[in-house]
Amino acid sequence: MSKPVTRREFISLMGATGGTAAALQVGTALGLLPGGAQAASPELLALGSNRRRVAILGGGLSGLTVAHELSKSGYDCTVLEASHRCGGRIFTVRAGTLIDEIGNRQYCEFDDEPHMYFNAGAARIPTTHHNLLNYCKELGVELEVFVGENNNAFLQDDAMMGGKPIRANDYKTNMRGFLSEMLAKSLTQEEMDEPFTEEEAENLLGLIRSFGDLNEDLVYSGSTRTGYASGGFLTHGVQRDMMAFRDLLKTRMGRQILSGYEGDYGPSLLQPVGGMDQIIAGFLRQVGDRVRYRAMVAAVQVKDDGVEIAYDQDGVRHQLEVDYCFNCIPTHLMAGIDHNFPSDYSKALKYVRRGEAYKAAFQAKERFWEKLHIFGGITSTNTPSRAIWYPPHGIHKAKGVILGAYDYGGGMYHTKMSQSERIEAHLSDGEKVHPEYRSLVEKPITIAWHRMNHMLGCSARWRRSFREWTGEEEAMYHTLQGPVNGRHYMIGDQISMHSAWQESAILSAHYALSDLDQRVRAELA
Amino acid sequence: MSGRIVRAAGTLMLVSLLSSPALAAEPREPFDDRYCTTCHGSDGRGNYGVQAPRLAGMEGWYLIRQLENFRSGVRGTHPQDIEGIAMRPMAAKLDDESIADIVAWVGDWPYVPAEVTIAGDSAAGERLYATCAACHGQRAEGNEALGAPALAGQNDWYLVTQLKNFMAGYRGSHPDDSYGQQMLTMARTLVDEQGVLNVVSYINNLEDR
Repeated sequence: MSKPVTRREFISLMGATGGTAAALQVGTALGLLPGGAQAASPELLALGSNRRRVAILGGGLSGLTVAHELSKSGYDCTVLEASHRCGGRIFTVRAGTLIDEIGNRQYCEFDDEPHMYFNAGAARIPTTHHNLLNYCKELGVELEVFVGENNNAFLQDDAMMGGKPIRANDYKTNMRGFLSEMLAKSLTQEEMDEPFTEEEAENLLGLIRSFGDLNEDLVYSGSTRTGYASGGFLTHGVQRDMMAFRDLLKTRMGRQILSGYEGDYGPSLLQPVGGMDQIIAGFLRQVGDRVRYRAMVAAVQVKDDGVEIAYDQDGVRHQLEVDYCFNCIPTHLMAGIDHNFPSDYSKALKYVRRGEAYKAAFQAKERFWEKLHIFGGITSTNTPSRAIWYPPHGIHKAKGVILGAYDYGGGMYHTKMSQSERIEAHLSDGEKVHPEYRSLVEKPITIAWHRMNHMLGCSARWRRSFREWTGEEEAMYHTLQGPVNGRHYMIGDQISMHSAWQESAILSAHYALSDLDQRVRAELA
Repeated sequence: MSGRIVRAAGTLMLVSLLSSPALAAEPREPFDDRYCTTCHGSDGRGNYGVQAPRLAGMEGWYLIRQLENFRSGVRGTHPQDIEGIAMRPMAAKLDDESIADIVAWVGDWPYVPAEVTIAGDSAAGERLYATCAACHGQRAEGNEALGAPALAGQNDWYLVTQLKNFMAGYRGSHPDDSYGQQMLTMARTLVDEQGVLNVVSYINNLEDR
């Protein structure tokens, strides 16, 4: 735990922010927003009459990015995909979809309508992920707004107010009021005078008042921001009672409400119309004829002048000889495939741990959340199921698909359960928020990424702890980021420092493509 | 491998019989039970990345016994048996026909000794192994009559995990696991982790069986 900041330190910190702010202004002028690497497809040398064969192992987003870019430049690409579909963890489940969990196969039974789908893997696109958005534009993937943060969604914790769910807005408004009041009262006139001009001090205090909706005496006494107890349109609105500060302090989930929707999770977010796999469909419109399905790689041998791949398809072992190989097979699976990589490479492959994220979804017989004035967004609960996501699409239609659980940390809790135990867990967790939940939902599906065939894990975990990367971890990361013999590249969001995002998969592919391009330019020069 | 195609067609028929007829407008994505290599690596060579042992070269009779044990819960149900818990649901839904198919498939894979990844005192391990040899054979080649599988060529990290599991009672404690119970008693003669490393280090020297 970091030690508490004293009032004196706080004031001097505020005084010191002048320099930072100046730097930020300059940065913004140059377009250097957070996460704002300029989007640019790699400008690869067109091969013309030269021929280069490329094998791409895995039809995930990074693999398809490579196939698309190289095909545009005249490379002869072959994508080997172990499963029956491309996309990897970009996986949209709809009527008839096979969920190929080992030991727990499911076929989705949702109603067969365009809005009745569930994004079981990637589910939101930050607007700062320019490279992904560029491909959506190039490939004609229609986008719409995704709603993450929703003030009308709920916060539910058994430890708070007897487990009664409260609106996110109630928590947020009241907590901000209390925090602001404390802050305003803590600032003495002398302290305000010391680092700030009169105008700055007035502005600051005004901001604190406004942030918390304090009255003229700098006291929080409730706010109409949470809606009215009555009236508000044709008659005067009657303010609701404020909540007790002590009640709000009973839950530790406040950080989810106050800071859970920042950075990559903050507004605005986007999603493809009709499901995240529309991005994959866009790539497949370009390179779909290059993909061999149910083709499981058995061996990768890097030679001086190319790469030899062995793979099994239809019960037959095939050989594929290529000049270059791009490989987005999960590292933990690649460790079990015959290869001749150098020992430091092999060591790094074995080091990376697999993520355990878990999701579940239900078909809702009616859009019961809309009656509660919820249109999209996320309810947070302190149950193992953790969340309910309401669809931002299909508004006012008869039914919808809701997320009934998303355990992004230790997803093994549900993974280890049988299918019926998982469903019962999500129903009883959901009932804490929506009392009629059990009778309102049907046709459950669960996605335990740790057990999905040909995946066996969610996003790569490079760090053994939640702290910084160790020097050894960084070294192993850079080992895998580099090619073997200038012929074989590991790619995917797994070869990034920001795994689990589609942007990372694309940037990893671009990184490898740039390296390849330099080598090919040198060869052909 | 034409057998696979015939069997895959049989699976398809089974799927369509089981599926809800109301939704059977389009044929469903077919599947089979040949999942093993996803975890256990190319040709069942074992995969440290998911802690799944080498199957290639494992005896058919032993594979059947273990798959049946996993299916019935004799193995893979102890809460501390982390790897066993991961394996159990994979086997839980297999029928006898699927098990026979898998074992025949695994039998096709060439025996390739696993790489050596641990270090121990092999000479000390040789003395300890004298007890093991009675059942598992002088060259760790296994003995079906005694129900003792081959150990030579197996992933050494897997042998270490299993020996530790036997010592701790995470494996071999189930009342219906008579072979496991014998092994639990024998494993405890290794006394500690160093004994485990030593004996596995010796077994690593017996690869050419």
